[in-house]
Amino acid sequence: MLPLSLLKAAQDNPMLVELKNGETYNGHLVSCDNWMNIQLKEVICTSRDGDRFWKMPECFIRGSMIKYLRIPDEVIDKVKEEAFKPRGPRPGGGPRRGGGGGRGGASRGRGGRPRGGGGGHKK
Amino acid sequence: MPLFYSFFKSLVGKEVIVELKNDLSIHGTLHSVDQYLNIKLTDISIPDPDKYPHMLSVKNCFIRGSVIRYVQLPAEEVDTGLLQDATRKELAQGKQQPAASAGSAAPAVTTT
Amino acid sequence: MALSSIEPYVNRSVSIITGDGRVIVGTLKGFDQTVNIILSNSHERVYSSSSGVEQVQLGLYIIRGDNIAVIGELDEELDSEINLNDIRAEPLNPVVH
Repeated sequence: MLPLSLLKAAQDNPMLVELKNGETYNGHLVSCDNWMNIQLKEVICTSRDGDRFWKMPECFIRGSMIKYLRIPDEVIDKVKEEAFKPRGPRPGGGPRRGGGGGRGGASRGRGGRPRGGGGGHKK
Repeated sequence: MPLFYSFFKSLVGKEVIVELKNDLSIHGTLHSVDQYLNIKLTDISIPDPDKYPHMLSVKNCFIRGSVIRYVQLPAEEVDTGLLQDATRKELAQGKQQPAASAGSAAPAVTTT
Repeated sequence: MALSSIEPYVNRSVSIITGDGRVIVGTLKGFDQTVNIILSNSHERVYSSSSGVEQVQLGLYIIRGDNIAVIGELDEELDSEINLNDIRAEPLNPVVH
């Protein structure tokens, strides 16, 4: 399982993020990207010594500043579910399983769709 | 293939001591290396276990290349003549296509 | 062969030494190219020179590769023989680049 898949699955969940400078951020994950940049909402920031607090409705954290993220235990089960869930109806119509294209495993190698929301992002 | 990567690969199976940038030293058998010079050791021991009991129950480990300060090598296993040749060869190759990678990768080297 | 070397540790008990000198033990559930890792059921082992090792439950963690120094495969048999209450040691130094 990839760390970033787990992070994506943690959307809408509460989490604790510690930065390299020792500050911690508690909030709900709004979104994240492939660089581990994240957006949180309903945030409480705690200073390095734990003696000062700031409340903010929303914040953005650059991935490279993160030391670690603590997320609810249940989230890991969500990733497993999502890995096996068929990904919505395909443009070509109904299920195509078992027909001709059986090579390479069930969820691999489907053509014609941009991957992971990164459509049109290539250089 | 990068020189140091090939070099470390030639030492697989030998005993080394890896000193980290947190001052911890780990002794062990070099199991593998990758392109980032991450190192995997087997059958490790810590030279100063009283000061560093933190890895007492670890026998095998992966060390991130970026935190390595020194690797102590078995002198008898290193052919320095071969290394010098390889270094010259790499330098010569670099001179052949100077413009191609001149931009940011390597600082300029001047020899007289 | 890049990084294949962490693969054998997946789903096993590992002990992580972090860049800031902490020791975190847990089950390795995944990793990526930059050595970001997932640890489940993790706990921190806090070393101190004046008292035994204290264990703090942490749960599910994603640790960024930048902040990882060593991933050690924990030998559970060896580990069960160690009495953490008897161990006195300074915490590890942080990694200084």
